[in-house]
Amino acid sequence: MTATLTNPLRVGLRQERVISPQCLVIFGASGDLTHRKLIPALFDLFRQRRLPSEFAVLGCARRPWSDEEFRQKMEVALAAKIADDPEAWSTFSSGLFYEPVDLQKQDDVVRLGKRLEQIDRQRATRSNRTFYLSVSPAFYGSGCRALAGAGLLADPKRSRVVIEKPFGRDYASAQELNRVVKSCGQENQIFRIDHYLGKETVQNILVMRFANTIFEPIWNRNYIDNVQITAAETVGVEERAGYYETSGALRDMVQNHLTQMLALTAMETPGRYDPEAIRNEKAKVLQAARLADEAEPWNCCVRGQYGPGGTTSDPLAGYRQEPGVDPNSTTETYVAMKVFIDNWRWQGVPFYVRTGKRMPKRLSEVVLTFKEAPVHLFDSSGGGNPGANQLILRIQPNEGADFRFEVKAPGSGMRSRPVDMDFSYDESFGEPSDEGYVRLLADAMLSDPTLFTRSDEVEAAWRLYTPLIELIEQQPWQLPVYPYEARTWGPAAADGLMARDGLLWRRP
Amino acid sequence: MAPQLTLQAPLELPPQDVSDYLGRLWSGDQDQANGASTFSLVVWQPSWIEQHLVRLGRLDGPITGLERPELLQAARQATPACGLPPSTSPLAPELAWQLGQLPGEASADDLRGQHVDPAISRHQPRRLITLAPTLEGQKHLETLVAAYCPLPEEGPVTAVCGDVVVMRGGMGALEQGLAMVNPLIPAELPCWVWWNGALDEAPQLFEGLSQAPRRLIVDTAMGSPARALDVLCQRAASGQAISDLNWYRLLSWRENLAMVFDQPGRRDALAHVVQLDIDVQGHQPVQGLLMAAWIADRLGWTLEETGRAEGDGITARFRRGDGEMVQFRQMPVPVGEPSTHPGSLVGLRMVCKPEHRPPLCVILCGETGGCMRLEAGGMAQLELVEEVVVSTIESVQREVSRTLRGGHDSTNPLLAACVPLASRLLPR
Ligand SMILES: NC(=O)c1ccc[n+]([C@@H]2O[C@H](COP(=O)([O-])OP(=O)(O)OC[C@H]3O[C@@H](n4cnc5c(N)ncnc54)[C@H](OP(=O)(O)O)[C@@H]3O)[C@@H](O)[C@H]2O)c1
Repeated sequence: MTATLTNPLRVGLRQERVISPQCLVIFGASGDLTHRKLIPALFDLFRQRRLPSEFAVLGCARRPWSDEEFRQKMEVALAAKIADDPEAWSTFSSGLFYEPVDLQKQDDVVRLGKRLEQIDRQRATRSNRTFYLSVSPAFYGSGCRALAGAGLLADPKRSRVVIEKPFGRDYASAQELNRVVKSCGQENQIFRIDHYLGKETVQNILVMRFANTIFEPIWNRNYIDNVQITAAETVGVEERAGYYETSGALRDMVQNHLTQMLALTAMETPGRYDPEAIRNEKAKVLQAARLADEAEPWNCCVRGQYGPGGTTSDPLAGYRQEPGVDPNSTTETYVAMKVFIDNWRWQGVPFYVRTGKRMPKRLSEVVLTFKEAPVHLFDSSGGGNPGANQLILRIQPNEGADFRFEVKAPGSGMRSRPVDMDFSYDESFGEPSDEGYVRLLADAMLSDPTLFTRSDEVEAAWRLYTPLIELIEQQPWQLPVYPYEARTWGPAAADGLMARDGLLWRRP
Repeated sequence: MAPQLTLQAPLELPPQDVSDYLGRLWSGDQDQANGASTFSLVVWQPSWIEQHLVRLGRLDGPITGLERPELLQAARQATPACGLPPSTSPLAPELAWQLGQLPGEASADDLRGQHVDPAISRHQPRRLITLAPTLEGQKHLETLVAAYCPLPEEGPVTAVCGDVVVMRGGMGALEQGLAMVNPLIPAELPCWVWWNGALDEAPQLFEGLSQAPRRLIVDTAMGSPARALDVLCQRAASGQAISDLNWYRLLSWRENLAMVFDQPGRRDALAHVVQLDIDVQGHQPVQGLLMAAWIADRLGWTLEETGRAEGDGITARFRRGDGEMVQFRQMPVPVGEPSTHPGSLVGLRMVCKPEHRPPLCVILCGETGGCMRLEAGGMAQLELVEEVVVSTIESVQREVSRTLRGGHDSTNPLLAACVPLASRLLPR
């Protein structure tokens, strides 16, 4: 098949976005994210020649590792990747350093400043620094304060801070955290991570919408009947019970990832393709979004929790039986809701948003269902009404888009049948797309904020779900957590949410 | 933003005192300022055209060495006066030579190396050493030294200072002064050498300055094509980092060509190229050859033969991986409004004949050049893709700034891979 050939002329063109010499400082270097995602992504960038020669990584955490210990730990974690290219690892790892730092201790952070000056001299990294806070969210604010206190954020051109998710627990705490963070540096120094934004198809939503003149005229309430946004995981809570018990699906997935997908799908056309213009539009559309029934949120939202399931040979524990989970837990592992956007473009078009753990498939997608033709002129080959046209934007796996539409079936007579027009990201752009963290790290080090969330976006997203969060905290009985069997598409009540509008969830 | 002057008026010192003076400048308690852990930059800055235009009274001084609009304008106006064809680029070495034949005695201050373009000072070079040869070949060596602190564009001032050293004099004096350059380059920091002139001038100085592991920045659009390609070849093969501004200027052409074949349906056509034509501005072939060599290298072609075509063109035949032949032809074309850089690409045509499909003809045109020659001679029943390549016109200081912004201690592998082929394409 020709479509799977890569484009040999594409190779290397991505290297032209130049990352400047710098030191990437990772707080939480002994943690899970560092060895599972961050260092592998950096090593990928190195092997693609996208890192400059003058580059260093300084790992920081409280435990008293040495540079050598840090390198060894990373080497063990990346063994499989290193086996492909041991020589590259030896060059790359010579730029890995470690400094014991407790972010709570100002003295430690001041000492860190000295170590950074030393690394600047050793590696010619030009006093240019990216600080990555891969620590518990409890330290985001104090971490920024400590960095600012030590003067490490004083130069807005040469220092930036990357903040992992989640950013706040609700509207009030996000506002408070923003206040702290903003007192430490300028908005353009702050990079709030949303993993899904690193996915190129999320960016593809933008390209597809705004570079293709065919979509823009129909991207509104006149043509679109409803929009479904789904992010489904097959996994359960795994080792994250401690965190998940305090978060739940609404905070873990909906407030950030799904809301970003919603914003990119629904936003107005930015005046130009520049980071601030895009973020302005995203913030605006989120400010116009509201739950379908804010006064009685239980009418537009369903919560669920996975129970046991699987097969006799491969049984799956229910959420309440998972290690670390309260046996009476009412934390939701599934949530579905209906949202409206009160603006000219989307007035009256429902957006259905759902996410869950232990679903039958791992996938994220946005499905736009177009209104049906006013009169059915043709027979559908299967009998009955022709299915409505649908545009399916796949975020993962297999990033790309499907367009399901009616065509004339082969043979005589005017019969139509649905056809999928498939377009996959890897096939269409000669090189496979970057893994999420590769792109996010590269962009942060390039100071390109497009794929990070701005303070007003984060706050608008929290504000949108405030009625739900308040309800769950104050009158949880109003929003019961329905059990669902593991490896199914959530509780029946979620189907009810759609059925009331005469719709069905798409079965991917 | 206006170019920044040095902080103090530069101090003229005897050459043998420079090193000591700089040492003293940074000792003391200026701990902060001392810490510019960036890089040093050595610039060969002949500015022959600027010097001649000033001498002829065609350009106001001072001489700065910067590529400024008034310089380009004066050079364009001087081209017809020198009897050169209108396609001559305003920075072409032949213009310098012709200007050199004209009489004139005007003079102006020579501030080369003392005016730092903000595109460069924003990277806060630790030390900037400028070699400024004078028109008068016998002139003795003058050395000037100054500290400078780039003014931050915004935000709080973190004064990270550097210093500049200017060596000015006749060619002979500069050659003798070469020995003092090496000790001035901080060993612990990367060092770039920007040869802002033709590669065939001052070979002894070039050799002396450009030793590995210093990283070279050259512009193969200037001077003898054979010499330029030889330098690229040797240095890339030796593992030294060499950046060619002429190659970087191809980026939008490469992007555009790649984009045509991003469409899955077209990808397969790349295996069936039968013809490649390139038009360049004037008689400087290197950029065109680099483009052809990059395509050939990416598509796995081998060079079978090369030769001269009528009208100072170059022809060649490549063999594709499947054994079929590809015809290549590069022609110099006159252009009304020549780009600053000699030999810039004007147009490119690639013809593919995939099996069981109509031929595909891709034409890329520069914004200003027009590609009438390439559009002529159509084939029946082909798929025609025509794109305009938007060129970003930047001063050479900005181009260098891009290179300094990143930093690799080895040559870009795509350039390294295509340079030997480009060199063999040049008929000798
Ligand atoms: N893991 C994931 O897949 C994932 C996914 C999405 C988001 N995140 C986010 O990424 C961040 C890190 O996650 P993680 O899974 O890597 O967490 P983790 O495994 O618990 O690691 C936390 C790290 O923080 C360090 N640390 C704790 N207190 C510190 C202090 N006072 N000063 C400096 N360092 C301190 C710990 O090392 P010491 O004990 O040695 O100090 C450890 O290295 C969190 O914000 C999380 O929300 C993670």
